[in-house]
Amino acid sequence: MTRSNLILAALAAFALALAAAPLPAAAADPLPRGEPTWLGPAAPARPTRVISLAPSLTDTVIALGETGKLVGVTRYDTAPEVKSLPRVGGFLDPSPEAVLGLRPDLVLWLADGGAYPAVRRIAELGVPVLALPVVGVPDVLRAARRVGAALGNPEAGERLAASMEAAVRAAEARASSLPRRRVMLVIGRDPLVVAGPGSYPDALLRIAGGVNVVTGDRPWPVYSLERAVADDPDLVIDAAVNEPADTIARLSAIPAVKGGRVVRLPDDRVLRPGPQLPAALEQLQGALGTAAPGTAGAKGTR
Amino acid sequence: MRRRLALALGAGAIALVACVVAALLLGPQPISLSAALAGVEPDRAILLGLRLPRVILGALVGAALAAAGVALQALLRNPLAEPFVLGVSGGAALGGTAALAAAAAAGPASAFGALVGSGASVALGASVGAAGSTVLVFALGRIGGKLVPEAALLVGVVFNAFAAGVITVVKVMVPPEEAARLLYWLMGAVGYADTGTLVTGTVFVVVAVAVLVATSAQLNLLSLGDDEASSLGVDVGRSRGVVFLAASLATGAAVALAGMVGFVGLIVPHLLRKVFGPDHRILLPASVLFGAAFLVLADAAARLAFLPLGSEPPVGALTALLGGPLFLWLLRRTERSA
Repeated sequence: MTRSNLILAALAAFALALAAAPLPAAAADPLPRGEPTWLGPAAPARPTRVISLAPSLTDTVIALGETGKLVGVTRYDTAPEVKSLPRVGGFLDPSPEAVLGLRPDLVLWLADGGAYPAVRRIAELGVPVLALPVVGVPDVLRAARRVGAALGNPEAGERLAASMEAAVRAAEARASSLPRRRVMLVIGRDPLVVAGPGSYPDALLRIAGGVNVVTGDRPWPVYSLERAVADDPDLVIDAAVNEPADTIARLSAIPAVKGGRVVRLPDDRVLRPGPQLPAALEQLQGALGTAAPGTAGAKGTR
Repeated sequence: MRRRLALALGAGAIALVACVVAALLLGPQPISLSAALAGVEPDRAILLGLRLPRVILGALVGAALAAAGVALQALLRNPLAEPFVLGVSGGAALGGTAALAAAAAAGPASAFGALVGSGASVALGASVGAAGSTVLVFALGRIGGKLVPEAALLVGVVFNAFAAGVITVVKVMVPPEEAARLLYWLMGAVGYADTGTLVTGTVFVVVAVAVLVATSAQLNLLSLGDDEASSLGVDVGRSRGVVFLAASLATGAAVALAGMVGFVGLIVPHLLRKVFGPDHRILLPASVLFGAAFLVLADAAARLAFLPLGSEPPVGALTALLGGPLFLWLLRRTERSA
């Protein structure tokens, strides 16, 4: 009797929940993807108070020569040009209150799920938001053009995009003379996270002429050390710049790490999809070039 | 009884108004109330567009969780019962996560992904999960056909651990941006819901809470135990089913709105029992008001606490900080008195 009542009640709960269903909350609202899109009201032709919600977009504004228009950035922004600007929260958790308090007439947003409810609310409250989904290299070029146009300086955007495009062409030309080396890009050590297909560093690596040993369909897989050993890359590029350099020793089961075929990157450029693109390509090609196959004689020390 | 009820409700209303006013006036951005009411931007947008919806959301979640806590405590005849501790919130989180994961697996661009990933499905998943875990706790918490509170609590704890494990696996499987969003939601953040969410959330919570308030006299009898209640003429099975249904709905709505905000259903009823006594006809409505006030205040505190860092911890972290020690203290005390 009691049990059947419980089941009955469960069914009733289900039915009631169905009836009262439209309760969006942690909802996976359709995020802007692909083309950059506008949220909120129309932006002025020449905005004067701009907030950037991602360091790579801050880089873009600086590269466009429009630093003076910035009035707020994220707490992750480290560029010296914006050192004194107010912070409006993080990339995943921007504070709408701090954003509105700065009275921006344009917000630049690197479209991301975590921040979407807050950013949508900012747009609803009357602030124009340019949502820029940036994943690959074409997105970076497009973002430069779109941000330039949004700031009322399309020429600068065009110039920036063209210079990055030229850098990509040059890197591709150089790549043909480099040996095709099999590379693993380490993003985090504990757990081991690597750059997989579909990630920005993977796109850079392809242009630079490297071959990513990581396959599959995940851009940032948590990778098993066993698989990393089996993949046996010629070279490990250590992009975990926030972790101490010597902790790479934890991965010494990977032959390349044991043999010292590791190149540590000096900064996080390959992880910042923005105007640092040419410098990031140079870094990667430098890494691919240093440990030329000859030095792979170190393999003998395995 | 009537005078005490009026006293409790009056005090609750005053507390709620005070907390709402405080939460509206306090925030990272200093604003002027007169400017906001005169329509000066950005003060008006911050007050009415950001803080007010957030206060309403916090009040709804707090009221729902406190009422569900009182109801579950009466059903289990144990002051330690609470949606979070009993695994009901865990079940709701699991249900919501399953909906989000299904959407991510289908690809958000596909029609199926958009449907499953919509807020409605997440809320539905959460409510079903809450109901499912309550059934589980009350079914497995029986020994020899009798509900044993300690056993039910243990089932809840184990179910929470199980749910956490499943959620961890799901987090590894979904794309990283989904995982980040999932994590922030689950941590219990009172965020920025749109008007439609608030309206439906209000309906959800008001229905559940109204049912609980209406059954509060029966809760008094149920809390005496099954035999005593049925000898006093209560249809124990039916009453318990109704209470259970309403508590699940309240918890499911709260979790869908704000994720895993724990211990509200423990802290608020416990303090009120000390002041107003154990009569559920007073305790339940008072918990609704004080629960709303408590979470509104806690969210304002969370907003202000980490001001220098330019970040804010989810309110769930704050309630857990208060509720964890209280739970342990209550556990020690019930142990001694047993």
